[in-house]
Amino acid sequence: MSLPMYYFLSITAVYILMSWALYLPYRVAHLHFLTVANMAISGYFAGYLVMSLHVPLGIAIITGFITGGIVGFIISLFMGDAPTFAVVIVGFTFIYITRTVVENTKAVGGTLGLFGIPSLFGSPSLHRWAILIILYFLVLIVGFLIYRFDHSRLGRAASAIFVDKDLARSFGVDVKKMGMLLQTFSSIIAGGCGVLYGFIYKSFNLDYFTFSLIGIFMTVIFVGGYTTQWGVVAAAPVLYGVPLLFPPAIASWRIVIYGALLILVLVLKPKGFITREFVYKIERGGKNGFRFGRNKKINDF
Amino acid sequence: MEVFIAQIINGLSLGSIYVLLVTGFNLLLIVAMIIHFSYPQVVVFSMYIAWMVMKFTNNSIILAIAAAVGSAIILNLISAPLFQKVMKKREGVDINTTMVLSLGIGMIITDILSHGFNEGLPIAFPENIVGDKSVIEIGLISVSNGQIYTLVVGIIAVSGLFWLLYRTRPGRAFRAIAEDPNGAKLVGLPLFKTALASYAVTGVLGGVTAILLAVLLGTTSPGMGEQVANKVLAVSIIAGLGNLTGGLIVGLLLGILEAVVQGYISGSWANAIAFVVMLVVILFKPKGLFGMKL
Repeated sequence: MSLPMYYFLSITAVYILMSWALYLPYRVAHLHFLTVANMAISGYFAGYLVMSLHVPLGIAIITGFITGGIVGFIISLFMGDAPTFAVVIVGFTFIYITRTVVENTKAVGGTLGLFGIPSLFGSPSLHRWAILIILYFLVLIVGFLIYRFDHSRLGRAASAIFVDKDLARSFGVDVKKMGMLLQTFSSIIAGGCGVLYGFIYKSFNLDYFTFSLIGIFMTVIFVGGYTTQWGVVAAAPVLYGVPLLFPPAIASWRIVIYGALLILVLVLKPKGFITREFVYKIERGGKNGFRFGRNKKINDF
Repeated sequence: MEVFIAQIINGLSLGSIYVLLVTGFNLLLIVAMIIHFSYPQVVVFSMYIAWMVMKFTNNSIILAIAAAVGSAIILNLISAPLFQKVMKKREGVDINTTMVLSLGIGMIITDILSHGFNEGLPIAFPENIVGDKSVIEIGLISVSNGQIYTLVVGIIAVSGLFWLLYRTRPGRAFRAIAEDPNGAKLVGLPLFKTALASYAVTGVLGGVTAILLAVLLGTTSPGMGEQVANKVLAVSIIAGLGNLTGGLIVGLLLGILEAVVQGYISGSWANAIAFVVMLVVILFKPKGLFGMKL
């Protein structure tokens, strides 16, 4: 497999997973930007384990998931039912604190970062295949879990919280526990992604975990559609892949392009391109011989 | 003790900048009903415009002030229809969506500054605008002309805004909408026009803040907007979203805290400590110390 294809496939998988990590807490209207801080915290911690303590890469990856989960759970104890703006600011603040700590800590390379992460199974080629298999296995597992969540009582409870917290409470939904569950799950995904993100490039650098990354994930969610998990799957490859085809002079403005796209979609198609109604129609269509609504077939559109 | 007093003075001038930013942010929040997270990025953009104008006009301060204020007003007014459209689509006030929209605007501004101005490198303002001349010196305590300008203009600007809010008809309209938008609409107040006026007023405040930042710091960089935006939102949350008086107190306190910590600990760690303090307060009091006014 060529190197550009490897990067396209692996980074797309990370974008899908990380956008899902943001999608989940947004089910209860939380913009949980702690996920990017969690990527950095878990990534650097795993990098330190591998580089300084010579811990095997597999264990380092698992440690990343656990670290992310622990950080996410502790923060969710306070932020489980907090207003969105408070959750946002906690995420941003964590990113600043993490960056400052990393910049000033020699053990994780300071501003230079960690370089020379060894390959999984010793060879670069096997390393790439292993990373891809792990990433897409995770995409399948996480995707399946989110699908089950969305189609369960818990998913409906999350939707109720999104619409009206007080109403959800009156139906007996525990808003705080739901927030905690989703924030923790999101942090577990982010922790693992942080480690894998560094392992893709075989290095950890603060430039990997910037505010632009939040902007990219947000664009993926809101352009794809934040009401279902499928929006992310459709938007991530397109939004990551298309700028790669641009000439370098244009590609360097991709954050401006993402920002403009995000604004356009919010203004013109507030629910994004893949909405829940659209998915229902397809699901219903599949069961009833691809019929939309009462009488119309899919070909009628 | 002298270091402490010197840092308190530094903190007051820095705090007055935060107060201006938080007041503008809160005004947009209570009148236009939006979380304009990228408001500080608008301010940093105005700093760049002022820098450009100075570069091409032989360091004219008057034109730089006019350009900073003008660009902040224009940027705010350009974004107003976008915010209103998003809110209209949601059939009501949706702070979350306006925040996401604002983050998008912030992304664009920061990236344009990173690519389009000075090759993304930090910019330094000409000497004639930077207030780094020491006017009072007692031992270690040194007060620069920039600090005095910042404090005085900050006090005048905030007092002017409070006068506008509490002593004039437009101010009464602002407060009426902040108190009860539906009631204000019922008595014939034009919600959109009043909201537009708040965008323009905060634009003026933003332009003034941009010039004060140039005077106080003498330099800026594309990433500064994000960092300040984070602090402004944090101050606003700690004070209680939309609470103008709370924002005033917490803004000053944050400035003093940051300056005092900087007096004893090296730069980047001082910033982190300010963030940790903010984080702890938000974790324990996510709805603010003085109560939300929404």
